[in-house]
Amino acid sequence: MLARFRSLLCALFWRQDFEAGMSDELRFHIERYAEDLVRSGMAQDEARRRARMEFGTLNSIQADCREARGLNFFDEFGRELRFAFRLLRKTPVFTVTALLTIAVCLGANLTIFAVIDSILLRALPFPDADRLMTVFNTYPKAGVERDGSSVTNYYERRGHIPALSSLSIYRFGTAIVGDAGSTEREQITQVSPEFFETLGMTPAFGRVFKEAETTFQADAVAIITDDYWRARFNGDPHVIGRQIRVDSVPKTVVGVLPTGFRFLSSKSQLYLPLSSRLEQRGPRERHSGGNVIQMIARLKPGATLAQAQSQIDAQNKSLEVDDPQAKMMAAAGFRSLVVPLHADQVAAIRPILLLLEAGVLTLLLIGMVNLANLLLIRANGRAKELAVRQALGAGKRYVLSETLVEITLVTVLGGILGLAIAAGGTRLLLALGADRLPLGGAIVFDTRLAFIGVGASFFMGLALAIPVAWFHLRRSVSAALQGGTRGATSGRAAQNLRQGFVIAQVALTFVLLAGAGLLGLSLRQVISVSPGFQADHVLTGQISMIGNRYPNPAAGLGFVERLVNSMSRQPGVRAAGVVDNLPFSGHSGKSAATVVGHTLRPGESPRGHYSYSVGGDYFHAMGFSLLAGRFLTAADSRSVQRVCVVDEDFARYYWPNTSPLGHRLFQGSEVGPDSEAYTVVGVVSSAKQAGLTEEAAQGAVYYPYIYRSTPNIFVAIRASVRPESLTLTLERVVRQIDPDLAVNGVQSMDNRIADSLIARRSPALLAGLFSAIALLLTAIGTYGVLSYAVAQRRREIAIRMALGARPNQIRAAFLNVALRLFVSGAAIGGVGAWLTGRAMQSILFHVPTFSISVVGGTAVIMGLISLLACSLPAHNAARLPPINALADQ
Amino acid sequence: MSKTADLLPGTLDMLILKAVSLEPLHGYGVLLRIRQISGDALDIPQGSLYPALYRLEHQGLIAAEWGQSENNRRAKYYTLTAAGRKRLREETAGWNRLVTAIAAALNTAPEEM
Repeated sequence: MLARFRSLLCALFWRQDFEAGMSDELRFHIERYAEDLVRSGMAQDEARRRARMEFGTLNSIQADCREARGLNFFDEFGRELRFAFRLLRKTPVFTVTALLTIAVCLGANLTIFAVIDSILLRALPFPDADRLMTVFNTYPKAGVERDGSSVTNYYERRGHIPALSSLSIYRFGTAIVGDAGSTEREQITQVSPEFFETLGMTPAFGRVFKEAETTFQADAVAIITDDYWRARFNGDPHVIGRQIRVDSVPKTVVGVLPTGFRFLSSKSQLYLPLSSRLEQRGPRERHSGGNVIQMIARLKPGATLAQAQSQIDAQNKSLEVDDPQAKMMAAAGFRSLVVPLHADQVAAIRPILLLLEAGVLTLLLIGMVNLANLLLIRANGRAKELAVRQALGAGKRYVLSETLVEITLVTVLGGILGLAIAAGGTRLLLALGADRLPLGGAIVFDTRLAFIGVGASFFMGLALAIPVAWFHLRRSVSAALQGGTRGATSGRAAQNLRQGFVIAQVALTFVLLAGAGLLGLSLRQVISVSPGFQADHVLTGQISMIGNRYPNPAAGLGFVERLVNSMSRQPGVRAAGVVDNLPFSGHSGKSAATVVGHTLRPGESPRGHYSYSVGGDYFHAMGFSLLAGRFLTAADSRSVQRVCVVDEDFARYYWPNTSPLGHRLFQGSEVGPDSEAYTVVGVVSSAKQAGLTEEAAQGAVYYPYIYRSTPNIFVAIRASVRPESLTLTLERVVRQIDPDLAVNGVQSMDNRIADSLIARRSPALLAGLFSAIALLLTAIGTYGVLSYAVAQRRREIAIRMALGARPNQIRAAFLNVALRLFVSGAAIGGVGAWLTGRAMQSILFHVPTFSISVVGGTAVIMGLISLLACSLPAHNAARLPPINALADQ
Repeated sequence: MSKTADLLPGTLDMLILKAVSLEPLHGYGVLLRIRQISGDALDIPQGSLYPALYRLEHQGLIAAEWGQSENNRRAKYYTLTAAGRKRLREETAGWNRLVTAIAAALNTAPEEM
């Protein structure tokens, strides 16, 4: 087998050597034979003639030799390929149209598939990744769908859930890394000691964290990624034991991770122990997750998710016994859910990606239908030629293989062009922000996808060859020959097929366009939602107060006050304030508040509310509306009189009929001493925290900074100038107050809101792009079929005109055909649009299943395009000089 | 010509393998050698020799190499490969079985039934 393959390859690649060697060999034989004949007494000339004659026909012997090598098939294939090239070169308009159709449709498909493949299909890059789970607490009745896990959960569960072989927690964060003067903010991940074991990874060298390193006294150790090791330590083989300053604390490197290690979408280069104090591990902190700490776990071989879930449920139940908060948590619908890690990561993006995939497949289908039609028209032009060849003895096999070679040549060439488009498209998507999707960092267009693309283009060729081969082989040769000479109307079946294709194309494009319209409308609805404050002219940035200068809340307040005072004196600044939890910053943890005098009604669950700590002139800076009372001011942090401001939703929930002013509440889920009660002094407009599409009236409480202090703050600045122009000012002011601190993620509020829409805007943009291509293809398809119909019926038109038909009647006849095709297609498309609307309902925002404006708009656009596409051929038909058409043949 | 026998189908390959098993030969040499070792009884049609050689080479049973002929001309010499040697052994054994069987059948006298 191998020997045959090798000998065939040798003959193919050294074809000239093969041919020359063969001639030499045969010539040698004849000469030797002639010499022998001369030696036996024959005359020279006679001997030569005799030798040649006895040897046989040289050409046929050579052909037999070639066949013995298996070369015939390739010779024939090569001939057909050259023939196909010649044919395609003769019709450049068709060829370019076909190549571009394939290239664009396939390129778009490969691009979207690259995204789907990286995000949805490919397993996470860990051994047995399908056994990796995430576990999180949920309190659905309190409006908290997801609250992460607490440190307590971790210590209570590890080793106690038999279905899990390993369990760990992690927390994403940032830290200032480096020596004073050359610091940089880095993403970090704090992890429990088993973290890498849970993932099934071990460090390339060094070790993982030890149990003893999870306390604050002993946690000065770090594990670094391979990239970080190469970039910062120049790949020093003795890096273990060297130190890095993290938040101005020196940490000893104990391990280096393997090349390419990346945890989900995280960009962390540094892994630190997730340390905690003993009291943080106790039962009181069981429900303190706050969606900050996340838990991952690995199923034991043979164990199922359901087993793990029931074991965790059982443990939660048994822990309830001595939990003072048990009743309240049960009322909030508390459960801990086990969910596959990969599915959980991509849950939000999955429906949108699948929708895009459906859209792009529709586009491919439209392109294929278009091409099938163009090919059928082209086939008709060659029907007579092929019939003549069949009459001269070409077999059906020949017709079939010629059709196949020609069409697959077009699709494969188009497919190769499509690879270039896909490579560019993938880059475009990444530029549009696809790398910010969950697991989006892994999006690549690689050789595997290129192979899939070329393979797909080959199969597209096979599929497209079917109708064309059917067309050529369907009727008898004599009919084809006669049909050509008579110049009659085209075959009924072929015409029906072509028109059916146009209808299908119109219908599919209609659905695609309507789907894009729904996405666009949905996007417009989202954009028109008010965030609850005036987002224009606001500059925002994040600051972490690290180091020894901020040991207590008072020191933090000192920084906040200096920052706000200094910033508000800068030219172009109207107001400045800080908040711990900026809207649209990606932080959306909720916590409890206890309103004095409010008792839970039967069936009512305790609710999670957004809680903010604010400093400076935050409300003016963000442009909140004041509905009652007053805003919090800088002075409230200096006052022992505790006050707070609530939002409209909060006020409506607890005091539906009275003014909230003067009422009192506590932070947290319990009533505390009177001195810790906050008096409501104002009501402000409700702001969207997680995104514009947030619908639940969650309620919010704003506390003065000092009473809910945190080292991680956002600064908000209202500008009278373009907000970005204040970036340098903000950075300078922060450096003047504390040279060790840096401002991160400085961007305008408008920008943050626009970023939050990326999962809606990009699909709408892409769907719009796909629809535009589909419209163009439909126009080409309609135009092609009608022009062809006109060309086919030249004689008929000419006769009718000679008999007195007016040009308008001829034009009307063709427009009528086009109208019929369009109406049929649009009717089917309308039903499709309705079904699509239903399927898309979950990702649409305030858009009805059947939007009259979208479907109507689609119909108008498609009608115009169809009219445009058919008016030219119809016009041509009407202007046909009868004498020319009749004289044609 | 009456002395020469027609070749049975399928026997040409076997004869070529046998011929080149004795020593490396070019195509014309194969022809002469078969004629010689069959005592001039077998004459191969010259036209069918080369396709057979190409087929055997393609199957890896013989190997070809360019060399110098007796009168210093470039010629392609064929040698038997290991696979070819095995095939020749099998075919010889098969052929001998067939000949014995057919001879036995043909020599059967009526009284032996």
